[in-house]
Amino acid sequence: MTIKQIQSTCAYCGAGCQIMFTVDIEKNKILEAVPARGRTNDGALCLKGHYGWDYLNDPQILTKRLVKPMIRKGGKGSPLEEVEWPEAIAHVAGRLSEIKAKYGPDAIMGTGSARGSGNEANYVMQKFIRSAVGTNNVDHCARI
Amino acid sequence: MGVHEIEDAALLFVFGYHGAESHPIVARRIVRAKQKGAKIICVDPRRIETARIADMHLQLKGGSNLLLVNALANVILEEGLCDYDFIEKHANGFDEFKEVIKKYTPESVTAQTRVEAADIRKAARMYALSGRSMILYGMGVCQFGQAVDVVKGLANLAIMTGNFGRPSVGIGPVRGQNNVQGACDMGALPNVYPGYQSVTVPEVRAKFEKAWGVKLSDQPGFTLTMVPHQVLHETDPKKQVHAYYIMGEDPAQSDPDLAEVREALEKCDFVVLQDIYMNKTGQYADVILPATGWCEHDAVYSCCDRGFQKARKLVEPSGDVKTDWEIISLVSTAMGYPMSYKNTVEIWNEVIELCPGFAGATDEKIEKNVCVQWPCRSKEDHDKGTSFLHKDGKFAHPDGRAKFFATDWRPPLELENELYPLTLSTVREVGHYSVRTMTGNCRTLRNLEDEPGWIQMNPADCEVLGLAEGELVKVLSKRGYCITRCLPTGRVAKGAVYMTYQWWIGACNELTIGNFDPISKTPEYKYCACKVEKIEDQAWAEKHVREEYELIRGRMGIDMKEGRAA
Ligand code: SF4
Repeated sequence: MTIKQIQSTCAYCGAGCQIMFTVDIEKNKILEAVPARGRTNDGALCLKGHYGWDYLNDPQILTKRLVKPMIRKGGKGSPLEEVEWPEAIAHVAGRLSEIKAKYGPDAIMGTGSARGSGNEANYVMQKFIRSAVGTNNVDHCARI
Repeated sequence: MGVHEIEDAALLFVFGYHGAESHPIVARRIVRAKQKGAKIICVDPRRIETARIADMHLQLKGGSNLLLVNALANVILEEGLCDYDFIEKHANGFDEFKEVIKKYTPESVTAQTRVEAADIRKAARMYALSGRSMILYGMGVCQFGQAVDVVKGLANLAIMTGNFGRPSVGIGPVRGQNNVQGACDMGALPNVYPGYQSVTVPEVRAKFEKAWGVKLSDQPGFTLTMVPHQVLHETDPKKQVHAYYIMGEDPAQSDPDLAEVREALEKCDFVVLQDIYMNKTGQYADVILPATGWCEHDAVYSCCDRGFQKARKLVEPSGDVKTDWEIISLVSTAMGYPMSYKNTVEIWNEVIELCPGFAGATDEKIEKNVCVQWPCRSKEDHDKGTSFLHKDGKFAHPDGRAKFFATDWRPPLELENELYPLTLSTVREVGHYSVRTMTGNCRTLRNLEDEPGWIQMNPADCEVLGLAEGELVKVLSKRGYCITRCLPTGRVAKGAVYMTYQWWIGACNELTIGNFDPISKTPEYKYCACKVEKIEDQAWAEKHVREEYELIRGRMGIDMKEGRAA
């Protein structure tokens, strides 16, 4: 049996509604989303909760999913070129270290995310900025 | 307070919060409260859904929030409707507060708020006397140059009437994006570590230095909204921003005064975008790091009433992508600060060890109870978390007492004038989320609305300009312009116009102003001066919008040849 029911939390607003997903594990596809009994939603969902997962199918209506690290190798304004992860990571670490050495840690700013990334990612980001970079320049778009 | 407590309030005071559009499910609780007999007072410049079911709608003029709040306090004082016992036991600063509030009589604010003195009196009495009054507020309070003062003003009302520390009372912000609460809880803020522990308190810093094994800075950092300034105008080389690592945000669409944001992104030496979609910010990024999205990774989210809940990995992502925390760990390790987390539970355990307020919210407990509201201090089973803060009238101040804060009103920075006679406020769209890269890519949701969005205008203002519904118009401010469609509606007052911020072509943030609340640094999205111009050649305008849309989608990586034209 590859069909599973998994409860999760909606990512589209702070109400934090609980959703019961039906997932076809073998086909790696979500089949359906129905309301679950959460403390805040009490068995209901709005449109976004019901249909918001369709983005996973990457219908390419507006923008494209990013599927590969990319670097503008020719500098600002040049085209983005696909690279492998080790090259992308080394490039980011190298440039940030250079800037830190030249201008000090406070010349670097990082953001957490108020969207789907989750608490653990935010924790790791602020720890990175504070410990590895050495500044408190970290914030997120709480204000929109 | 918790969302589920809303329906048991005797009175809901809904201030600058548009539940039906921002959080449909919270809005349902408001409706349910009404059905259970609650009175509802709605304060909003628009005739929003809540106003329709409200017992009173105070349709104040945008930008006059604190005048109204102080006048309500004035009535409660003058008419002796305070809970003096509660104040004496639990609050400080009452006398100074009275001094400031004295002058804000309802009559003195009528002209600027456009709310009748009699209505202010009636609302104040209803709020003070219901027995269980709960305040809900939203971006209509927060997105002004004077925002924190208004939040404190609302807290004053709750304290002076004893509406704190019991079920179905208190004051609750209802936040926009799903995990704003979580980003704050986790210390993605320039002044606090995870768990709201200040970076400037030596003992706190020492604790984190020990846990993380490094020396930490004692200087609070910059807020996001300051970045354009720090890149473009900062003269002290020590304070200039040269690198910007952006995770899951789109400042080139969502921040105010987009022309300035673009200039900053262009000038900034090194910009990294870590995200799931190409977006406007990505057009300026030097490096793009592709991440997993919702349903592709495990995570804890914090909902708006401080509840930790789990979002699960349901499917394997298809691209060559990694989770956000893995990517950051790799960069950190490459910079000489190793991070080797194996999964999110390991990270979560580290978080709760460092944060006394979250210490009891163990992974097992969240798993078992679905939702755990912090503060939750004990790992024991009996501590299931806290539904309402300020339990039994205990406040976060060192002496456990609340403090009255009274401040005078300040007008918004950019007032309407001869050249720009209308006031613009940005609002949300019901089917879409924030900058739309996710919802705009969901077929059902996208069919609800599409580019270039709408500008809501009072029919009288439309008539002056000879505008019909659906006509394309040009909207201009001192900072820029955009094109959108005219939507005449009696729900908005004369002289005030409203736009939603997720559109590329109808990008209202081309117009908005970078004026910030001095404490929260929230931009004044709810107030700037603008004007609307008629476009005579509608055929040209329609064509222009279509072409622009294709152009942008092309830049976002959509292949136009595949016949997916908008
Ligand atoms: S289902 Fe709707 S109301 Fe519930 S969390 Fe999702 S977006 Fe918010």
